[in-house]
Amino acid sequence: VSDPILLFLILDMAALLVLGACAALMPPAAGLFLTAGLAGLGAFLCLPPLFFSWPAAALNLPTGPPGLHLHLALDPLPAFFLLLAFLSGTAIAAFQGTTAAHSGSVRVAALCLAGTAMSLLAADGVTLTMGSALVCGTIVRDWRSRRTPAALLIPLLLLAAVCLLTPTGFTPRFDAIRAAPIGMGSAAAAAMMTIAAITGMICLRAPANDWTGQALIAGVVFPSGVYILIRLIADLSSQSMQPWWGAVLLTVGGWFAVVQAWRAAADADIDGAVAAMMRRQAGLMVMGVGLALIGRAADLPQAQSLALDATVLLAIGSSLAGTVATLAAEALGSSAATVRLSRLGGLVHTMPWASAALAAGLLALAALPPGIGFASVWLLFQSLLSAPRTGPLIDQLPLALAAAAIALSAAAAASASVRIIGVAMLGRPRTPRGAGAQDISPAGRVILSTLAGLSLIAGIIPGSALWALADSAVSGVTGSSPGIRGELTMLSVSAAFPGYAALPVIALLALATGCVILVLRWLRREGKVAGLWFGGMKPPVGLPFGEPMAQSAGAGFLPELPVIPLPPVPRFPSLPRIAAVSPTVSLWIVLIAFGLLLLILAVAGGSE
Amino acid sequence: MSILVSLLLQVLHIGLMIVAAPLVAGVLDWLEARFAGRSGPPLLLPWRLLVRLSRKKPVELDSGSVVLRFAPAIELGATVSAAALVPSFATSMALSPLADILVVVSLLIIARVAGVLAALDAGAALPGLAAQQSSALAVPAEAALIMAIFALALMGGSFNLGLIILAQDDGGLVPATAAFVALASLLALAAADEAASGSALDQVLTGTGLAVSRMAGWLRRLVWIDLIGALAFPFGLATFPAGPLDWAIGFTCWALKLAIFVLCLSGLQTLLGRMPARRRQGLTAVALLLALVAVVLVLTSTRLA
Repeated sequence: VSDPILLFLILDMAALLVLGACAALMPPAAGLFLTAGLAGLGAFLCLPPLFFSWPAAALNLPTGPPGLHLHLALDPLPAFFLLLAFLSGTAIAAFQGTTAAHSGSVRVAALCLAGTAMSLLAADGVTLTMGSALVCGTIVRDWRSRRTPAALLIPLLLLAAVCLLTPTGFTPRFDAIRAAPIGMGSAAAAAMMTIAAITGMICLRAPANDWTGQALIAGVVFPSGVYILIRLIADLSSQSMQPWWGAVLLTVGGWFAVVQAWRAAADADIDGAVAAMMRRQAGLMVMGVGLALIGRAADLPQAQSLALDATVLLAIGSSLAGTVATLAAEALGSSAATVRLSRLGGLVHTMPWASAALAAGLLALAALPPGIGFASVWLLFQSLLSAPRTGPLIDQLPLALAAAAIALSAAAAASASVRIIGVAMLGRPRTPRGAGAQDISPAGRVILSTLAGLSLIAGIIPGSALWALADSAVSGVTGSSPGIRGELTMLSVSAAFPGYAALPVIALLALATGCVILVLRWLRREGKVAGLWFGGMKPPVGLPFGEPMAQSAGAGFLPELPVIPLPPVPRFPSLPRIAAVSPTVSLWIVLIAFGLLLLILAVAGGSE
Repeated sequence: MSILVSLLLQVLHIGLMIVAAPLVAGVLDWLEARFAGRSGPPLLLPWRLLVRLSRKKPVELDSGSVVLRFAPAIELGATVSAAALVPSFATSMALSPLADILVVVSLLIIARVAGVLAALDAGAALPGLAAQQSSALAVPAEAALIMAIFALALMGGSFNLGLIILAQDDGGLVPATAAFVALASLLALAAADEAASGSALDQVLTGTGLAVSRMAGWLRRLVWIDLIGALAFPFGLATFPAGPLDWAIGFTCWALKLAIFVLCLSGLQTLLGRMPARRRQGLTAVALLLALVAVVLVLTSTRLA
């Protein structure tokens, strides 16, 4: 039944590719709105397979490398992540369309979305590699950056991982991998390569001031990276899975969750702090997959389901709240003409909508109820509670350290959110430009409010959100019934135990706060308005804003992380520098890359 | 009928907490003075302070936004919500199914966050500095608190406070060593929290706002006492079905636990004196380590899934 949907999604992806290639030929705003329309159409197309749990559909495209076809497939798992990517992409493209856009934004948004769609719909290694290469190449456009070679390694690592998983004599198709599992050694090597690739994906950085790229990383790239992790490790390698893979993922994810939350609470720039919050979210997602693997290895389907539920909830948070926070931070930084926290401040007075959106996004990412971040962390702890408790100390230590990492990350993320909100938005303006900042346009307000509202709804009724969007996807991976016994408002693990009910908790909080406000109004007396810094006197002539630089600049919330001394990198002889990549050189680069691809495929297996 | 009874219990509990919070603060101050050889202030002084502050003409900051206006209410509202979920003399209250211990901790974090945001909203140097220090101390403390309650949840099988208390009441949390270490961690955190000189918000408030902020601080202290009392010594708590006699016994036991805790706390404060920020950091680090040890002990002591 879902064949037409898959066909339409492929056409949508092709249209995005064409749009990205022809971005320079049309006005930027029109290009961005067209991108938003195509992404919105893609999101709409993903809904029927999710709501009605349609069976998987596959399609072979007679294109691609010689002797190989491109294989694309759609089942609930990619449909869920595709929905998130398209939803976030729609918001990003539409928001950029309402601001002063340029053709670079159109190219980045359209090509990144097309590449993500290709990666998510891929049913073979080549398509997956092409999609991820498109995503990485689009995001990291600064070819002189030292990070570029590492970013371009990501698709190669993924291709190598799929080739390692493929049995001898087969093409690197996912159905062939499922049909004939391979040995433990190859599976372990493939798993480590996948983990290395996803680690690289989490470390991806957009060029400076490229807010479109940064928002796409938060809302599109991280969730799709987690999908690849689930697909390659938890699904395709499930028959050769080894328990220590989960420990590796917990270590990698825990490192990102703690270090990035800490960086978010210490970074001097608003863009760096928000990006660190998003990488922390990605680290938690990786931890969720690690916990699912541990549950799977111990044959505890409920622990596995709970961990995957937490992962998909974190992905929803990254796509919705992360996109809101990044776009709102862009609006604040652009309007105040600085990203330094020590130069921002008081923007809640001049930019109330953007400030409210930033606060909503950040508080949803921090583990505070009723945000979606709290529901995700609650589920992560539930999966830790259901994790296996047998085995020696060495088996249990990763779980204890994972709990410590989640706790520390949650505390640091709350502190980081408070710091960003308090220093950038509250207080008094520190610069004249900040005092005269303009709020976002009405269309931008609608976009950010919608995303923030969706994130809030998902946080208030996480059980229902999971049931509607992710149940079939999670069940498809675990092969068992869902771990959550969700009612409309309650998120519980078992019918016997009460769980987390966001709506009654909000009602209690609202009731208690409302009562206090009523008492305060009843006792209210007419107050004397005064400036705090002069005891009611007028500010001096030379400082029309009082002493704005005396306010907290956000430097003492957490100390800077110590820099780990790395061994010196050996110096390689410098390559001849190419001033500009000409069409001829580009053609040679493409041909050489293609030849390498074919060589790897020839070594890995036969042809179709 | 049972719904009405549980509602009545809930209302009684909240009322009791609100009344007792300033009283406990007064008793603590009085005991501290008595231990130091002074006559001590009146026991009802905190209540008088609240009344006096509410009659004062407030000074409102012209740079403050809506955050500063509503922060005291949110701070007290979140603390009252947390207090409503932690049982004092009975467990079968109307809100008991909501009493997830992670939610309780998060509500306390919301109260702190509201105070910090309001202090930053004042736009002055000193409240900003206080907000920074408060946040820097809160990160390890909140992490340690979450770890300690995770250890207790591992032993109780759930994050629901009622179920953990039930497991403790039934025969103690297993293993006992881990339960002891987790409770020691909670005690260290409570001591570190108690040593805090006050909310960052207190520096920017006057009048009723300041009264509300003070009340939130006293109530927070009572939540700590109740939480540790219910988890460590759950005896006497009236469970469902219970009559007025059980409630009276529960109330007596709660008052007894409160008195012992307050006596120990004031004795400790007299012995150790005011704790500087550096020692608070050290205490919090010890609490974090203890909580981690408790989790490891629980995980390694279980031999069956």
